[in-house]
Amino acid sequence: MLIEQSAYTNRWRRVSPAAKGLFTAGAFIAVFAANSPLTAAIIASLVVALTVFGAGIAPSCYLRVATPALFFLALGSLSLAFSLDIGDGTPALKLTSGGLLKLAEVGTRSLGSLAALLFLVLTTPLIDLIALLRRLKVPALLLEIMVLCYRMLFVFSAAVHETLTAQSARLGYATPRLVIRSLGGLAANLTLQVWQRAHALHLAALARNNDGPLRFLEPSFAHSRRDCRIAGLAGAGLIVLAVSWA
Amino acid sequence: MNDALLELCQISYRYPDGSVGLDACSIAIQRGSRNVLIGANGSGKTTLFQHTNGLLRPQTGVVRYAGMAVDYSRAGLRALRSQVGMVFQNPDHQLFSASVQEDVSFGPLNLGLDMATVRQRVAAALQAVGMTEHADKAVHNLSFGQKKRVCIAGVLAMQPTLLILDEPMAGLDHAMQQELLAVLDQLHAAGITLLMATHDIDFAYRWAERIHLMAAGRCTASLNATDLGEHAEALAAVGLPLPQVITLHRALVERGILPANPPPRCTASLLTMLAEAKITQETTC
Ligand SMILES: Nc1ncnc2c1ncn2[C@@H]1O[C@H](COP(=O)(O)OP(=O)(O)O)[C@@H](O)[C@H]1O
Ligand SMILES: [Mg+2]
Repeated sequence: MLIEQSAYTNRWRRVSPAAKGLFTAGAFIAVFAANSPLTAAIIASLVVALTVFGAGIAPSCYLRVATPALFFLALGSLSLAFSLDIGDGTPALKLTSGGLLKLAEVGTRSLGSLAALLFLVLTTPLIDLIALLRRLKVPALLLEIMVLCYRMLFVFSAAVHETLTAQSARLGYATPRLVIRSLGGLAANLTLQVWQRAHALHLAALARNNDGPLRFLEPSFAHSRRDCRIAGLAGAGLIVLAVSWA
Repeated sequence: MNDALLELCQISYRYPDGSVGLDACSIAIQRGSRNVLIGANGSGKTTLFQHTNGLLRPQTGVVRYAGMAVDYSRAGLRALRSQVGMVFQNPDHQLFSASVQEDVSFGPLNLGLDMATVRQRVAAALQAVGMTEHADKAVHNLSFGQKKRVCIAGVLAMQPTLLILDEPMAGLDHAMQQELLAVLDQLHAAGITLLMATHDIDFAYRWAERIHLMAAGRCTASLNATDLGEHAEALAAVGLPLPQVITLHRALVERGILPANPPPRCTASLLTMLAEAKITQETTC
């Protein structure tokens, strides 16, 4: 929910999502086109700096969102750098030849991609991203599923929370035996709710004259064209930096 | 009776599990009026509402809209549902999209309107319910009362002739109820016919022009709010007391403190009458 929060409150909320998407794409290309780990690292830090200082995402929030990804990244990179050597009987960890270089290359690229992705999701609410995908002509069915899932996510997390509270209030989780019983009840209750909600939503759609595809208004953003131009230039700048840095 | 916008004649509906939803229920809604459907939980209010815009099809009886029997073909339902807007009781059952603006646009887009018109209608509907500054918010970040207003905006954007609200006051605090009533007053002034379900008789007496009583799947009486005081038995038959303000006013009349006419419709006007009565008493002695 941290991501949600910053997506709605950051300084660049009103900037066109197309522009943010464009810049993200530019950053991705730049990171992969980078000819040395150093360049990739510089690009990654530029994107991070832009997210923190430009869009005004609090550094603490940024770190908390990035930590799990960084952890997996570290784990993955280490396994790349070292290999298990069981040549002379006793297994030993050995630094592979060229392993360090590979580590630096893959590591910085991953960091750069992570930074680019975080830039997008921390500055753009999912509802804007979905609208952007719709404009990019992603199949309507896929988007409808996304919209409904996203909406239902909140409806159900509320339902789960309420049921859990109600069960706890009547000591439903007091002993391990009761825990299993209550969890079963929770699952049964949710199944019923899913079914009822689906039916209710269907009725609500019919009542508003729906006859098939779900259609929604695209949000409009002031200065969309100007924003895209700036974002395009910034993205291109990163790519140029990536390929020309010696 | 000729100017009935919506008429249900002898409608019966039984749910698949055998429970009786409606039982030979008849009701008529006059064009431009403010109506309340009042009855206990389970008396069939929601079932009746679902018949008004063709979500349920009567098993016996006829629904007439503007004098014509409802045509249950695709085109007929489309026409009916663009005239009869329905606001459901639970906003989470009605709101589809994650964004306020997108959700409000859902109905008008279903009507096949072009983008420019839809944009304009969405803006007007959000303005009418006072939610303009929340247009870009995510639905799940809204309060219950705000969600309710988004639901109403979503229906208003379809510009219905008849607006149906299923227990709109349930779950709202006093201030939010007052705001919602102000919105409804505006809509009524704009010529929209209103029909709302409630189980609060004091509110019904204060707000409605016509009060329809429901019990056990049947509309037992349709009364003008002005003569509600004479129908204590009809109210008692569906388990409702007289509005408190009527009882109180009668007691005051009996003691010679207040004149019998005009009868006040809410506590506020009763208090005004009391204040005025005091002044006249003081001036006479
Ligand atoms: N989906 C359903 N399936 C079976 N019975 C239902 C269903 N919905 C309502 N009923 C029954 O129909 C009757 C009328 O319910 P309803 O119209 O929801 O009343 P109200 O809105 O006045 O509370 C109740 O007895 C209720 O149990
Ligand atoms: Mg109901």
